[in-house]
Amino acid sequence: MFLSRTQIIAAMAAVGFAMFVLDLVRRRKLSEDFSLLWLLSTAGIALLGFSTGVLQAVTRALGIMYESSTVFAAGIGFTVVLLLYVSVRLSRLAHENLLLTRELALLRRTLEERTGAALRSDDGGEAAR
Amino acid sequence: MARASNVVGRTLVVIPALNECKSLPATLAKLRADAPQFDVLVIDDGSRDGTAQVARAHGIPVVRHAFNLGVGAAMQTAFRYAIEHGYDMAVQFDADGQHDAKDLAAVVAPVADGRCDVSIGSRYVTSTGYRAPLTRRMGMLLFSGLVRLALKQRIADTTSGFRAYGRAAMEVCQHDFPRDFPDAPLLIMLARRGFTLLEVPAHMHERVAGKSFYTLGKSLYYPYKNLLASLMALLQRPR
Repeated sequence: MFLSRTQIIAAMAAVGFAMFVLDLVRRRKLSEDFSLLWLLSTAGIALLGFSTGVLQAVTRALGIMYESSTVFAAGIGFTVVLLLYVSVRLSRLAHENLLLTRELALLRRTLEERTGAALRSDDGGEAAR
Repeated sequence: MARASNVVGRTLVVIPALNECKSLPATLAKLRADAPQFDVLVIDDGSRDGTAQVARAHGIPVVRHAFNLGVGAAMQTAFRYAIEHGYDMAVQFDADGQHDAKDLAAVVAPVADGRCDVSIGSRYVTSTGYRAPLTRRMGMLLFSGLVRLALKQRIADTTSGFRAYGRAAMEVCQHDFPRDFPDAPLLIMLARRGFTLLEVPAHMHERVAGKSFYTLGKSLYYPYKNLLASLMALLQRPR
């Protein structure tokens, strides 16, 4: 079936992006669990780009007028899901960071109590000195 | 550290401090003069002005966060410290000199006597001459009403940081405590867990030095965060 220019661009961009994501995983710049959502989203965009039948069916089902709008809507949808996922992960990391910082502070105090001397390596007094 | 008397059990006065090197010496001096029976701990929440050094120079033990975590996290660190060091109670006390050390015994007494799990040093139980700015009064009215609806108990001063916590409350709060604004959501959470709260009269003074925690940005963010957190405290199953 005939592929529109928008479809071809979206599909090629999705494939290129998927290859970039895989390369980031290969270079250990992106973890496997984060890559999963990216690959799923790019696969979805690529599917809509390469398969006119699927694209038209989805477009009709959603009551959208133009097929190209469906591709962009899918992209925006995936982006929102990804952002939410990242926000959840960030919240968890912030909580874990807080626990670790508190733990470090108490360990530092325990060390000071045992050695009887204050650890002054980072005492926050730079401004005062 | 001063030795706690048997009357009040082993009580730790906790001073969470962020860049309070100017006001801390006066606060510590007043504590030493008016409440020498209490042990004192400073939680330096990532200060960059040498607050930790000032506290140590006064012979006060310091637990220092590597960076700023918020007053709630500072109190959680304090609760953990208090539990590990065998304290029965912990009292939050402001570093800026707004709380009166003479009120400490009265704030601790209801918890020590077993009349409640958490006592709140309140500016509004009896007239103490304190008059908050209009915006803060409106906020207090809102959250006081919210707490009253949720707990069926009147807590007039929901924003008071002058609170004494018993051992059982500390055990819970070391794990579960609002990070930014431990006010109405905390009171709701504590009550939902079955802890009893009691207000006692306390005085509030002008801060000695430094800047208020409630900057313009935080004043705008505070109602949103506290309303949402209060609602969540009502809905969440206690951990």
